[in-house]
Amino acid sequence: MDHFPTSWGRPRTEAYDAYNTFPLHQRPNPGHKDAFAEGVQRTQQPIVTGTSVLGILYKDGIMLVADTLASYGSLARFKSIQRLHPVGSSTVIGASGDMSDFQYLQTLLEELIIEEFAEADKHELGPAEIHEYLSRIMYGRRSKMNPLWNSLLVAGKKDGKRFLAYVDLLGTTYSASTIATGYGAYIALPLLRTAVEGKEDTLTEEEARKILEDAMRVLFYRDARSLDKYQIAIVNDEGVTISEPKKIETEWGFAEGIRGYGAQIQ
Amino acid sequence: MNSFVSRFASTGHDVELRKAREAFGDEDESLEMWGSQAGFGPLSKGVPSFSVPAVPDPSAFLRLHTDDHADPSCRIKIKHGTTTLAFRFRGGVIVAVDSRATAGSYIASGTVKKVIEINPYLLGTMAGGAADCQYWETYLGIQCRLHELRNRERISVSAASKYLSNLVYSYKGMGLSMGTMICGWDKTGPAVFYVDSDGTRLKGDVFSVGSGSTFAYGVLDQGYHWDLTDEEAQELGRRSIYAAGHRDAYSGNTINLYHVKEDGWKFIGNYDVSEMHYEGPAGVGYGYEIRTAGKSSANPPPEPESQTAQT
Amino acid sequence: MPDGSYAHPQQRQFNPYTENGGTILAIAGADFTVIAGDTRQSEGYSIQTRYAPKVFRLTDRAVLAVNGFAADGNMFVKKVKQRLEWYRHAHAKDMPLRAIARLIQTMLYAQRFFPYYVYNILGGIEEDGSGAVYSFDPVGSYEREACRAAGAAQSLVQPFLDNQIYFKNQQLPPGQTRPLHLSLSDVLSIVIDSFTSATERHIEVGDGLEIYVVLAKGRGPQGLEAVRGAQELTTNAEGDRVFIVRRELKKD
Repeated sequence: MDHFPTSWGRPRTEAYDAYNTFPLHQRPNPGHKDAFAEGVQRTQQPIVTGTSVLGILYKDGIMLVADTLASYGSLARFKSIQRLHPVGSSTVIGASGDMSDFQYLQTLLEELIIEEFAEADKHELGPAEIHEYLSRIMYGRRSKMNPLWNSLLVAGKKDGKRFLAYVDLLGTTYSASTIATGYGAYIALPLLRTAVEGKEDTLTEEEARKILEDAMRVLFYRDARSLDKYQIAIVNDEGVTISEPKKIETEWGFAEGIRGYGAQIQ
Repeated sequence: MNSFVSRFASTGHDVELRKAREAFGDEDESLEMWGSQAGFGPLSKGVPSFSVPAVPDPSAFLRLHTDDHADPSCRIKIKHGTTTLAFRFRGGVIVAVDSRATAGSYIASGTVKKVIEINPYLLGTMAGGAADCQYWETYLGIQCRLHELRNRERISVSAASKYLSNLVYSYKGMGLSMGTMICGWDKTGPAVFYVDSDGTRLKGDVFSVGSGSTFAYGVLDQGYHWDLTDEEAQELGRRSIYAAGHRDAYSGNTINLYHVKEDGWKFIGNYDVSEMHYEGPAGVGYGYEIRTAGKSSANPPPEPESQTAQT
Repeated sequence: MPDGSYAHPQQRQFNPYTENGGTILAIAGADFTVIAGDTRQSEGYSIQTRYAPKVFRLTDRAVLAVNGFAADGNMFVKKVKQRLEWYRHAHAKDMPLRAIARLIQTMLYAQRFFPYYVYNILGGIEEDGSGAVYSFDPVGSYEREACRAAGAAQSLVQPFLDNQIYFKNQQLPPGQTRPLHLSLSDVLSIVIDSFTSATERHIEVGDGLEIYVVLAKGRGPQGLEAVRGAQELTTNAEGDRVFIVRRELKKD
């Protein structure tokens, strides 16, 4: 037995790299034990991807925004993809990450809503239930080591209660008055928090829209995988509305004055 | 017939449940988990079952994510136990252990119970993965009780240890880590068996397991003989663990001492290693500099306080 | 290979774990137990939310705090609660604390080869009316203790508790003796100080603090009546009682 305590509780080295040739994170592939393993395809990395989704609470409900781009690596592959999706009559979800996995989720949710409708018991799934369902799906898939490669926002309003929450490929969930996925969490979230926190119950629809448009503009300036075309989803007492794609008004005059980094340093 | 129908039906509540289980990955929810069986966890189906990650090499997965001295970025720190010893002599079996658990260089606990009381006649010790030892020795306790009920007599130490050894051998290579001594008194008299997660099972008189075992053996071997009195034997166990606690960074805090006799085991006491160093169990410290104070120029007697005050 | 490349194609492995920060803490008294946790949830340097509870009431006499990977933690709490409900249906009573502790061990160990990345601390009142804290490692080894801190600031808080609860490295003035158990108001002060201090020195700790207090059956609320905003969560006033106290922590 290996008597050194830090080697305890783990499989023995000689089982797969007898001489510890490689740093742990770069071990060569131990080779397929299962001859059929290659027949099973799993999302090990996202392929066609969407970037940030932003969401905020405001006086009458919740607003989500996402641009309409689906990138293929650094290629802007599909420029009018809708990344906001209504579920039932009081919920909307927004997705970043792999778009094929998102489409799969859309079919799952469609099936769920139909089954719920078929019960004809006048009960409808609200945002909290949709979020719980999605988080169980996402966690279940991560536990099978076969994740759905997305970060999702779930927003809705039911029985006068606003709901905004997040779930991602690991099954991590949380709720807050402002949430952003992807790059938005670094670039847009500080702006959103400054503008929204403490004002969740007073912001009007116009103010909320302005805040999100400004955040999307900043994201478009700095996020290389973003587009200047976006859609806004609003959930309030009237239900879900998803706007037609709109252009971001941009101003590039200032770019001329930027010096000191990148290719152009003079 | 009904079960056949429900198995292949595509509507109804059974199907809903089956679909939900598939989607959410819940496989551990069977009827056995309900009611009085609830709480038996992976044992609820009789044979323990464990969920294994769906990767080509599950043990490489476990190794990647659990702690490693070569790679501190691994997050899951499993608690480790460290110096344990047990020896057989005329008066029974002495079992002595330290109480330190480490996670990397952090002392996760200084109050670990590394002697596992399997039943009133059997003790197991804990070195290696703390959870592995606790869980499987509790499981062994269940099997020993079943043996008593089936055979109307207590299980022998040999059989109990063989049960454990066969069990861990079936998990060989999966990452279990236990170095344990199964100690007790049966028809053959006092008995000690060493069982580890490699599948080794040894009968013997004197064993010590863990990173501090070399230090413990040093003291143990020079003081051991069959005809020790009970007091001498207990002192030897205590002194040996003290030596390991003093010299091995992964061992220490306190000493737990047990004595197994014909009528079962008895807990002798808990001793602080630092107190043993300065005061010892009977007012004389084990510590080298305590024992040799004033006996050489390298270790002069302390200056009387009155003199210091004058100068 | 000397050039850093490998002969066979590399498969990037999906990492099913992350770390969500935060710290939890529990202290047992003679006839009460205090279980607390901050409410920040973070990943890397990003604060995801300022309010994500880590401490959960299981029964009127048991409270569970979970820390580590939030998704695993939430799922684990969900499953424990489900088991406790099944137990209630089968036995028409709440599961005793020591039984919950063993239940948690078997549930964690069932995932021995694909562990929950969760550090659990269970606190509450035993059947004999004494306060108890059980702490677990991710694969289910457990121990009953008087106090325990876990999570991001464990290494900051635990030494403080060793000093204040176990009186480690304290020299007492001659003639004075140590109290065997601290009073509830002393314990609450120690808990709050632990978290304000951890918030000062650890980036993953802060925002809010939730303190659960479990009182043994028949014990009066002494030590709690002076506490601002204590809210009772008990379902059956005849038995042990559970309270929650919320405090703000610094948000930077």
